[in-house]
Amino acid sequence: MELREYRIEREPYYRASGDEVALFEAAYASRMPVMLKGPTGCGKTRFIEHMAWRLGKPLITVACNEDMTAADLVGRHLLDAEGTVWHDGPLTRAVRHGAICYLDEIVEARQDATVIIHPLTDERRLLPIEKRNELVVAHPDFQLVIAYNPGYQSVVKDLKESTKQRFGALDFTYPPASVEAEIVAHEAGVEPTVARRLVQIGERSRNLRGRGLDEGASTRMLIHAGRLAARGVALEAACRMALVLPLTDDADVRDALSAAITACL
Amino acid sequence: MSEVPPRPEEAYARIRAEGGAGELHFSDVERQLRHFLTALWGRDVPMRALSAGGDAPEARRSGFDGGVIRLPDALPALAGQPAEALFRASLAHLAAHLIFSRRQLARGLKPLLMAVVGLVEDARVEHLAMRAFPGLRRLWLPFHVAEPSGALIAADLMERLSRALIDPGYEDANHWVAKGRALFFDGKDQWEDPDFSLRVGGLLAGDLGKMRVGLNHKTYLVEPAYRDDNGGLWEFDTPPQVPPDDHDLPLEAMRAEPSEGQEPDEFDGAARNDPAAASAPAGEADPEAGVPVARYPEWDYRIGLQRPGFARVVECPAPPSSPALIDGLLARDPGMVRRVARLVRAAKFSRPERLRRQAEGETLDLDACVEAAVERRLGHAPDPRVHAATRRRFRDLSVLVLLDVSQSTNDPVSDPAGGAPTTVLALERHATALLAAAMAEAGDRFAVHAFCSNGREEVRYQRVKDFGDPYDNAAKARLGGLRGRYSTRMGTALRHAGRQIAGQPTHRRLVLLITDGEPSDIDSGDRRYLIEDTRKAVGELAGAGVDVFCVRLGGTSAADARDPARIFGGRNVLTVERLERLPDMLPQLYFRLTA
Ligand SMILES: Nc1ncnc2c1ncn2[C@@H]1O[C@H](COP(=O)(O)OP(=O)(O)OP(=O)(O)O)[C@@H](O)[C@H]1O
Ligand SMILES: [Mg+2]
Repeated sequence: MELREYRIEREPYYRASGDEVALFEAAYASRMPVMLKGPTGCGKTRFIEHMAWRLGKPLITVACNEDMTAADLVGRHLLDAEGTVWHDGPLTRAVRHGAICYLDEIVEARQDATVIIHPLTDERRLLPIEKRNELVVAHPDFQLVIAYNPGYQSVVKDLKESTKQRFGALDFTYPPASVEAEIVAHEAGVEPTVARRLVQIGERSRNLRGRGLDEGASTRMLIHAGRLAARGVALEAACRMALVLPLTDDADVRDALSAAITACL
Repeated sequence: MSEVPPRPEEAYARIRAEGGAGELHFSDVERQLRHFLTALWGRDVPMRALSAGGDAPEARRSGFDGGVIRLPDALPALAGQPAEALFRASLAHLAAHLIFSRRQLARGLKPLLMAVVGLVEDARVEHLAMRAFPGLRRLWLPFHVAEPSGALIAADLMERLSRALIDPGYEDANHWVAKGRALFFDGKDQWEDPDFSLRVGGLLAGDLGKMRVGLNHKTYLVEPAYRDDNGGLWEFDTPPQVPPDDHDLPLEAMRAEPSEGQEPDEFDGAARNDPAAASAPAGEADPEAGVPVARYPEWDYRIGLQRPGFARVVECPAPPSSPALIDGLLARDPGMVRRVARLVRAAKFSRPERLRRQAEGETLDLDACVEAAVERRLGHAPDPRVHAATRRRFRDLSVLVLLDVSQSTNDPVSDPAGGAPTTVLALERHATALLAAAMAEAGDRFAVHAFCSNGREEVRYQRVKDFGDPYDNAAKARLGGLRGRYSTRMGTALRHAGRQIAGQPTHRRLVLLITDGEPSDIDSGDRRYLIEDTRKAVGELAGAGVDVFCVRLGGTSAADARDPARIFGGRNVLTVERLERLPDMLPQLYFRLTA
């Protein structure tokens, strides 16, 4: 069977903090394209992995970057001994064979890349491959999901209105403290008390968002710190390595953040 | 009317008199403190420095009046703690008041009662803060150094009670201290109630009264030193001397006034319409005398206000030497010229462009593919460059190289590599020659200007090459002819440079300041004044879409780098200790620009 390697066999741990699971299931049932909005490391990827597993569909993930073109998504001609051969890109494979295609940080991709998803995300559900003169009709299982971090892009790098309006959206933020502590405890293997401290520390850094820091510490970072702590590293040193140093090079902000962390412990 | 507790500036004056070692200025830690406060409480509370001299009457206000936190302008190391910790402890304490204290009417209350209530209130808010942030105890505790003694002096007993209320390990057999401790901790459940301090403090003050230990409220100071005078706790009958929201208003008011600041445009226009004026000034006495072209405001951090039209820019001709000097410099090391040129060329600042016939790329170049297929059929080796790619190649950038040509640039720099000693100015010239050659070759829009200053009325500004001019022998001759004189009024020079580059029609605009050090001028004794003004100027330019980048030549020590980092932002300063390092450093500069 196609796309076997894209199937998720074991349940990925996901701790819901609202009705996002039910909402997504309803969206999938009508194959509505969905966008997941939220800061980095807050569980968007984990969520879509969990949903793909739950729905029993293969998941093809593409991390977009600014050099990414339509060809990287759709496919390209390659040269071999006999001449040129066509090679399906990840999006085309998902469309042909029926996967959930997850485009991470879609705004990073170039305009031509975002525009090709237009015919796929309206009633037509078609992917035109211009270079091959082919029109791929989407497999009934196919769904497009994009992720994007609204805080982090500049105004110029926003999605076009015509793109935005094709999607339903789920808003991801860092979960409430008690839920986040549960996640940190589970993922890092630390005691709940330690996890709660880490979440409190995370909140300190999030207070500095836009005022010294571009972004506060993500759940992912807190898990990193927790993993260090689980291996016997003192919490303060673990936070320094996993949070303070990666977050900023600004000495004043580092000192302030370190002092705030010390105050939490 | 009630007695007003002693003013905090007196308290801090005493701390300063006692301390002195390891002193730190508020403005050195201001940013850090601000972020600390925001991180803890999610609030951005305005902070002001409180002059310990007490000469500015508007600064005579208690720690947290009107939602403004006032901290002393300088603090020493104390109780084995660095000054930084004292600042932090003071701020954390004030923040606890701001979050948990509520103002009480002071009318009719005796000074002793107010002092004891304040003591209990200090402990109450600190304990509430420690419930959220237990680590704060480690910040405050080291400053509690009171020890048990037989002395029955109110101030002494109160200092001991303060310690007993925060230090679980402290033992004191005194009855009053023990009673205070018991009352305080037995009432744990009522800490959330702001009247708790009034109740417990009332009881304890009554006991002190009965013990007939007097409190000399004229000399009484809240201890330990990180605690404020609690003036902000009380509502007095007398209104505060200055409205609480003074911190932003006067600035706006002063801007609105007609001032000298309006003049520059007239000056500027005149000078521009008559280029001869710049090169042939009226007085023939000094061939390098210039014409005044603009006035700029300066930022006075001591009053927190702009001084409108305070500094004057005088444009002076740049006397030429021979272009051979510059060509000779470059001829010494053609490899270096090539390296710098390559780096400058490689930096990209614009939208992508399509390139055909590439060895690799994201799409195939169809024409090339067809040709390759034909070649193969014919039995020839096909050209493998059959891809098309997109690259950023156009350079949408203008650069104004601003050279510091003050007296200090004549200082010799010892080459750490052991080469021949040279001067900062020679290094500047060499670096500029390399950059200018590279930028001219790459077709960049750039200008080279230089400045020095002789007091605020004479900020001298010289144009080696303007944006519209070619980088020709005349420009090279002017670059070679630069001499180091006078001082370094950096902020004004930057403002003027900012105005020169502002009109450039490019995507990015960069002022590249090449200097040996920090701002200074003959008429400014306060070293910090020009540093703060320069910092302000950098901010103004940034606001106008002009990046300022500082290349420091010569200085190597980390301490030297502190002020530039403060002024320009740590990411916007490059220290190049040897010229050979310039090619290594340039990519960093461009990287930061494109990142
Ligand atoms: N609700 C959650 N349930 C379980 N794990 C979570 C949850 N939220 C975050 N995590 C943990 O945080 C880590 C980071 O989350 P994830 O990779 O999903 O972030 P993301 O939002 O996709 O970030 P990015 O935008 O950077 O891709 C996950 O590996 C997982 O361990
Ligand atoms: Mg106080």
